[in-house]
Amino acid sequence: MSNGKITIDGQVLDIVPGKTVIQIANDAGIGVQHYCYHPGLSIAGNCRICQVEVEGWDRPQISCKLQPSDGMVVHTQSEFAKDAREGTMEMLLVNHPLDCPICDQAGECHLQDYSYEVGQGAASSPTAKTNLPKNVPFGSKIVYDAERCIKCTLCVRFCEEVTETNELAMAGRSDHEIVIMTSQGEFETPYSMNIIDLCPVGALTSRDFRFKSRLWFMDFAESVCTGCARGCNVMTGGRDGSFLRMEPRENQAVNKWWMCDAGRLGYKAANVASRLEAPLVRNADGALVQVNWERAISAAGAALKGAPGDVLIDGGATLEEMALANDLAAAMGGKAKYAAATGEGDDFLVVAEKGANAAGAELLGLPRAKKASAASVVIVERGQHITASMRDKSGAVVVFAMDGEHVPDSAQVVFPLPSSAERNGLLVNCDGIVQAISSNTAIGPNNLADPIELIEDILGELDDGYDWRGRDGVLASIRALPAFAKVDFPAGYEAAGVGAGS
Amino acid sequence: MAAKKSASKKSASKKSSPKRGDDGRYPETKILSALFDVKDGWKLAVAKKHGAYKNLEKALKSMSPAEVIDEVKTSRVRGRGGAGFPTGVKWSFVPTETDKPKYLVLNADESEPGTFKDRWLMELDPHLVLEGCLLCAYATGVSTIYIYVRGEYPLSQERLWGAIHEARKAGLLGDKIMGTDFSCEAYVHTGAGAYICGEETGMLESLEGKRGHPRIKPPFPAVEGAFGCPTVINNVETLAHVPSIIEHGGQWFADMGIAPDPDNPRALGSSGTKLMGLSGDIKTPGCWEFEFGITVRELIEQYGGGALEGRTIKAVIPGGLSMPVLTADELDVPMGFDALVKVGSGLGTGTAIVMDDACDMVEACENIAHFFADESCGQCTPCREGCHWMEKIFTRIKAGDGTPADLDLLERLFINIEGRTICALADAAVWPLRSILRKFRHEFLAKMPGHTDPHEKDPHAEDPKASSEPAAVGAN
Amino acid sequence: MSVPPESTASVLPQAAPPEAVAFPPKELKKECEDILSRYPTRMAACLPVLLLAQQHYGGWISPEVEAGVASYLEVSDSHIRGLLTFYAMYNTKPAGRHEVWVCRTLTCWLRGAEKLRQTALDTAGVATCGTESDDGKFLIKNMECLGLCEVAPAVFIDGQPHVNVTPEKLTELMEACD
Repeated sequence: MSNGKITIDGQVLDIVPGKTVIQIANDAGIGVQHYCYHPGLSIAGNCRICQVEVEGWDRPQISCKLQPSDGMVVHTQSEFAKDAREGTMEMLLVNHPLDCPICDQAGECHLQDYSYEVGQGAASSPTAKTNLPKNVPFGSKIVYDAERCIKCTLCVRFCEEVTETNELAMAGRSDHEIVIMTSQGEFETPYSMNIIDLCPVGALTSRDFRFKSRLWFMDFAESVCTGCARGCNVMTGGRDGSFLRMEPRENQAVNKWWMCDAGRLGYKAANVASRLEAPLVRNADGALVQVNWERAISAAGAALKGAPGDVLIDGGATLEEMALANDLAAAMGGKAKYAAATGEGDDFLVVAEKGANAAGAELLGLPRAKKASAASVVIVERGQHITASMRDKSGAVVVFAMDGEHVPDSAQVVFPLPSSAERNGLLVNCDGIVQAISSNTAIGPNNLADPIELIEDILGELDDGYDWRGRDGVLASIRALPAFAKVDFPAGYEAAGVGAGS
Repeated sequence: MAAKKSASKKSASKKSSPKRGDDGRYPETKILSALFDVKDGWKLAVAKKHGAYKNLEKALKSMSPAEVIDEVKTSRVRGRGGAGFPTGVKWSFVPTETDKPKYLVLNADESEPGTFKDRWLMELDPHLVLEGCLLCAYATGVSTIYIYVRGEYPLSQERLWGAIHEARKAGLLGDKIMGTDFSCEAYVHTGAGAYICGEETGMLESLEGKRGHPRIKPPFPAVEGAFGCPTVINNVETLAHVPSIIEHGGQWFADMGIAPDPDNPRALGSSGTKLMGLSGDIKTPGCWEFEFGITVRELIEQYGGGALEGRTIKAVIPGGLSMPVLTADELDVPMGFDALVKVGSGLGTGTAIVMDDACDMVEACENIAHFFADESCGQCTPCREGCHWMEKIFTRIKAGDGTPADLDLLERLFINIEGRTICALADAAVWPLRSILRKFRHEFLAKMPGHTDPHEKDPHAEDPKASSEPAAVGAN
Repeated sequence: MSVPPESTASVLPQAAPPEAVAFPPKELKKECEDILSRYPTRMAACLPVLLLAQQHYGGWISPEVEAGVASYLEVSDSHIRGLLTFYAMYNTKPAGRHEVWVCRTLTCWLRGAEKLRQTALDTAGVATCGTESDDGKFLIKNMECLGLCEVAPAVFIDGQPHVNVTPEKLTELMEACD
C-alpha cells in the first residue's frame, strides 16, 4: 500500500512511514544541512539550520521533525528556505569565535562548510561576542570549548540515549548555556569519544588528536577496527607513515555509528618505535640483520625445511592470510592454529572475543591454540593474542611480526608485518559478517611486502611445484570450502575470483 | 454571590456588552472575583457559604463527563493564559480510551510580566480554582492534578495547599469525592524561577524535574504530556470560569462578551468575563473583572485613574509584555481576543502595561529585550543568540553609538527570530520590540545625532506581510 | 536572572569529586518522602527537593549537597547542576544570610526599580548582583518579573514580598535584617 508521495525540490518521492522529510530527502540524495539532527538520536529540533519551505505554510519548517503528508511540496533551495537558513547561520556565527586557523575541526566543520556555501559576508555588526569557558576537560580524552559550541545537544543526547550514562547535561540558560560534565571527572561509558565525531563543530576535540595534523594533509581509508570481534567499521586516518586517528564509519548491521574508545585509541600500536620496517635474518654471530626480501624468503625456506612444524597465526589476521597459513603448515606436514585473547565484553559493542577474525579461523577449520606449543612459523600482529609465552615456547624459526618486541629469540628469519590499517583482506566478525579491511597508504613504513605474497613465496621455496594463486586465487579457494558456501562476502568481494586486493 | 445573581439575570436579556452607565462608566461584572472582597474568602467554610463546590456536586451527581465538556464547548470560553485556544476543544483532544493515567497540569506559572490576575485568584479564592480543576479532571478522566505555581508566589502556594488540605478533609478531594465514583488527587508543584516554564511543554519538562526546555510538537500534551501520558493543561483563570459555566450553562457564558465574527473563521469571539489588570504609569493599578467589551482607554481612564499627574500616556502593551504596543491614539479598541489582533496586537493575558511620556522607548526596548534574552531557555539558535543580539543593539543605540543601519539590522533579526523556534518565546520577544521600533522610530533616530533616516518613511509600515499576527501562537 | 559568565566557572569539573552529603538529613526526611510520593518518577521531585535543600543548607546548594541530592533522586550530578543553573531561584554560591530580590522587568522598571537595585547594592556594600556581600550578610539578585506589578516596584527579602517599595523603605527593611 502506498503511503503517499511528497515532492522535494521537484522530485516526487515515496513517503516512508517513520521517516521525516530530512530522511526522505537525504535518501534521495537531496542533502539538507543539519547540525542537531542525527539519525541515531532523538530529534531535538534546536539548531534550526535544516529549515525548508513547505508550500502553503507561512513559516519555514525544520525538516528533521517535519512529518511528510501526501501531496506535500517542499523546497530546500527556494529563496525563502535559503533566507531562513542564512538567517540561522548568522545567529550561529554571531557568538562563534573566528578561530578556525587554530581549530582542529577545520576541514571537517559543518559550520565552516556551510558558511562557505551560503557565503556569509561581512559581519553584520561590531557586537562583542559572549565569553564562555574554553579548554574544559571532559574526562581525560576530550576537551570542550563552550564558545565554539552551538548547543546542538548531540553529545548530551548520546550520553542519555545511547550509553544511558548521563555524564553530560546542559547548564545555564540563554546565551550562557553550555554543556557540563559530571563532577566525577571521568566518563563512565567506554564510548565517550563518539561525542567528538557527533560534534558538528570544534567544541569537542580529542585530546589525543588535538593539534596533530590538519585534515587536508591526511589520507583516509575505509577499514575495520580489529580491537575485538565486533569489527566496528572505521575510517583510518594517516599522514607520512603515522597512524593518526581512527573514527567509526556507519554500518547498521555492525556498529551503527559508534565505536568504543579503546578500539579507537588502539591504532597506536602501529606507531611504536620498535616497529619492524625490513626483513631480518639471523647471522652467524646470532644477531638479526637487515637483508633484502629475496634473501629473507630463501632463508625462510631453508629454515623451515630444516625445522618443519605448525603455523601459529594471530586471531586478527585476515581470512586470506589464515588460509595460506593453513597451506604453509600442510606443506610442512604440520597444522595451522590461531590464537586470540578473550576479555571483557559489554552489552553494547565490545565483545569478549578479541580475535577480530576468530570466527573466520573457525570457519576455515583452524583450531584455537589455548596454550603454548611448538610451531615453526608465528604470525603475530597483537601481543595480546599470541602472548610472549606462546612466542617464546613455540621455538619458531620464521616470524611475521609488526613489533620487534614480539620476536622470540628462536627466530631465524623475521618479516615485518604491516598493521591491519596497512593490509587488505577479509575478517569475519562475531556475528559471522564478512568485512574488508583496506590499506591506508599514508600509514606505516614504506614498501612493506604483503604477507600474502610472502607466504606464497615461502610456499614456493618449500614446494617446487607450487602454483602462485595471488589474493584472488586464495579467495577462490576459500570460497570453495563448504563452510563458506552460505557466507555473504562484502561489496567488491562478491563474485568468485574477484578480489579487491592490491 | 450577589454579583453572580446579577450576572445571570443579565444574561437572559442581552447579547452585547453591558451598557455603560449614564456617566459612561463600563461596569464590573463579578463572577470570578465574587469572593475577592469577602473576608477570609479563601477558607473553605466561607467559600462554601458562597456556593463553593456546589457546581462540582452538580456535575458529579447529575452530569456525565461528556456533558461537562459540551457545556464548556458551548460557553466558547477561550484560554486565559495568552493563546486564547478554545478550552472545550482542547479537552476533547484528550483520549477517552487509554490505559495510561491522565493528568491535569494547571498552569499557575504566571510568569508573563505585567500579569498578576491568577495570583489574585489563587490567593483570594483558591477553592474556586480547585473546584475548576476538579470539574476539568472529571470531564477529561484525570486522576492527578498538578498545580504548577511559580516559586515567586509563596502566598498562592500556601493558600492552594491550604485549600487542598481542607478539601481533602471535607471529602471534596481524594478517594470517592462526595461519595461518587470519582477520585482525584491534587498537588502543588513549585517552580523555581523561569519564565519559559509558563510555556506548556516547558512546564511539563519542569514538572518532570528537568530544565524547562519546551518540547517540539507534535505530539501534543493532550496525547503525550506529563510523564508520557495524556495531559490537559489550562490556565488558572480559565478553569476558574468552569464552575459558573456549570452553574448557569455554557450558553449563559457565551451570551456575555463579544460574539464571534461569522465572516471571519479565526475570530472566535471573546465570551464571558475576564480579569483585566493594569500596571505601570497610571494612578491606580489593579485587577478588575469585566464582561468583554471594555476598551483599553476605558480601562485605563475609568479604572486605572488615567495618566500620572502631569503626564500623558504614550504606549500600552495590552496583555503582558509579549504583545505589540498600542500608541495613545490606538486605545479605543475593546480588550478582546479578536479586536486586538485586528489592530495588530493581542489580548495576551489581558493585563496591560502602561508607559507614559517620561518613558524612553529605546531604554524600554533594552529592558524588554533583556528580559527575553535572560529568559530564553537557550535551546533554539535564533532565540538564544538573537535575543541577546537585539539587546546589545538597543544598548548601543541607547549609548549614542547606534546608526540607522542598526534599525535595518533589527528588522532583519526580527524576521530571523520570529517563527523560527520551537516555542513562542522568540515571537513574544519580537512583537513588542518591532512594534515599538516602528511606532516610535523617531525616538531611536533622535539618539543618532548626525544621522538622517535613510528611509523617508518606514519601509515596513504598509507591508501587510510584515505585520505581527499573535493569534497564530495559540494553535502551535 | 541571567547566568553571568563568571558563574560558569562553578560548573567546570573539579579536580576531586565532591563528597556527597548524606541526603536527606533527618529533618527533611519526611518532607522529601512526601514530595516523592506525589510523582511517578524520582526525577520529578528535583525542583521541590532542591528548594527544600537550599533552605536547609543556608540558602545555596554546594557541590556536596548537589551530589547528595543527585544520589538521593537517582539522577546524575550534572543533571542537578543543569537545573541549578537554569532556574533563577537556586544559588550555587554562598548566598548571604539574607537574600534580596529586586525585580527589574518593565513595570517595576517604569516605577523605579533601577534606583531600588542601586539602593540594595549600596546598602549591602557590593558592586554587582549575584555576589554575596563581604560580611556574608546579603545577596542581591536582579530578578525578572515577580508578578507584583500592580504594587510595583517590588522586592523580596528572604522569600517574603514587599511592595510599593521606595529606596528609603528598602534601606529600612535591609537595615532591619540582622
